[in-house]
Amino acid sequence: MEHYLLIAQSVTLAQRMERTLSRAGIRGGMLRTPMELSEGKGCTYAVQLEPSALRDGLNVLSGAGVRPVQIFYAGPNGYREVAV
Amino acid sequence: MIYLDSAATSFQKPASVGRAMTWAMGALSSPGRGGYQAAMRAADTALSCRTELQELFHVPEPEQVVFTLNATHALNIAIKSLVPQGGRAVISGYEHNAVTRPLKALGAEVTVARGSLFHPDEVLEAFQKAVKPGVDAVVCAHVSNVFGFAQPLDGIAAICREQGVPLIVDASQSAGILPLDLQALGAAFLAMPGHKGLYGPQGTGVLICGTDVPVHPLLEGGTGSLSQQQEMPDFLPDRLEAGTHNMPGIAGLLEGVRFVRKRGVSNICTAERRLAALTAEGLRRLPDLEVFAEPDLYAQTGVLSFRSRGMDAEALGAALAERNIAVRAGLHCAPLAHESAGTLKTGTVRLSFSAFNTREEVFRLLDAVKAITKPK
Repeated sequence: MEHYLLIAQSVTLAQRMERTLSRAGIRGGMLRTPMELSEGKGCTYAVQLEPSALRDGLNVLSGAGVRPVQIFYAGPNGYREVAV
Repeated sequence: MIYLDSAATSFQKPASVGRAMTWAMGALSSPGRGGYQAAMRAADTALSCRTELQELFHVPEPEQVVFTLNATHALNIAIKSLVPQGGRAVISGYEHNAVTRPLKALGAEVTVARGSLFHPDEVLEAFQKAVKPGVDAVVCAHVSNVFGFAQPLDGIAAICREQGVPLIVDASQSAGILPLDLQALGAAFLAMPGHKGLYGPQGTGVLICGTDVPVHPLLEGGTGSLSQQQEMPDFLPDRLEAGTHNMPGIAGLLEGVRFVRKRGVSNICTAERRLAALTAEGLRRLPDLEVFAEPDLYAQTGVLSFRSRGMDAEALGAALAERNIAVRAGLHCAPLAHESAGTLKTGTVRLSFSAFNTREEVFRLLDAVKAITKPK
């Protein structure tokens, strides 16, 4: 299933992202970042968003000053980083 | 027991604190250590606690709220972040050993900005003279743990801002009791225990970090973030929170802070001041006692000290303990404060109130002191 992963700097920030989205009525599930995406860093958290929710989600996060450090698109061919 | 040692630890807590801790033992693991429910719940609880504290102390971001073991831990991080070995610091005359010992260990050149007890104007004048560019940090107890003297923090903060010197506030006796606004003060750090005026359990403390203030960890270790990197993360709170969190403590602290916010800081302070005033009035009527209290408690919170001309402070404290009244006698880990007040040789008996004390308890205390100090 297609989705986006918004990578957070810390678990605290991931929680804040999830809460901020939830308050705006956007469902974003928090999860551990897959190892292949955290290579070179190790152990981060991410928030998963449906493609249809990405734009609104990023606007909401930006408005709250809670920004992801990286965004990945997950499609049929795997992950691809997209510009933040 | 009549418990009058809340300046050390508030012993009576809201029932919700104990309930939350019991719940946490069975429901929470560690934040940042997994994607399963117990870890996510722990992360959620930690963020909720940070957010409550953020709102109470007017902090821009919850990441600036760092959990520590106690106020001493928080003060050590703050002091060692700003004062280098052999650096320069200005402190008030009412500091605790939690401030003076770290500075001593750093070999810092320390100037004491001393004013008489309950004379905020003198304290302010002393800071005005002592704080100059080149000082690495000012460290100031908002409220003296011995005498409840509320120092003129707004004025001291203004002097620090004018001189460009970072301010570390020891809020051990004021967090949850007096209003504290990180942004208005422009302070570098606010350090506080969780287990006093915030009604959390022992083993909890908080360091609130100012925006863009350099922070140096006292401990290095796992943070659940950037694991491949061998330096500590450069972002808060992870930079200062190595190792597993005290989640039962944080869950309890969350409920303690909620209690404080619900009851209201100023309501708590007013109630404690009233009890202190009532106590001071009663003690003054007894012979041979010297009571360290302001008439209207304008610059004093619900902490007051007294001493007997005819009885050793520790003996008086022990006699009260025999009557199941818990007070703290001696030097209260604050010899500097006693030196400033002229009580270093004798020490004092300290009474400190919480939101759970009553007038009836004050009357029973007064009866007990009267009986103990009655001339034989």
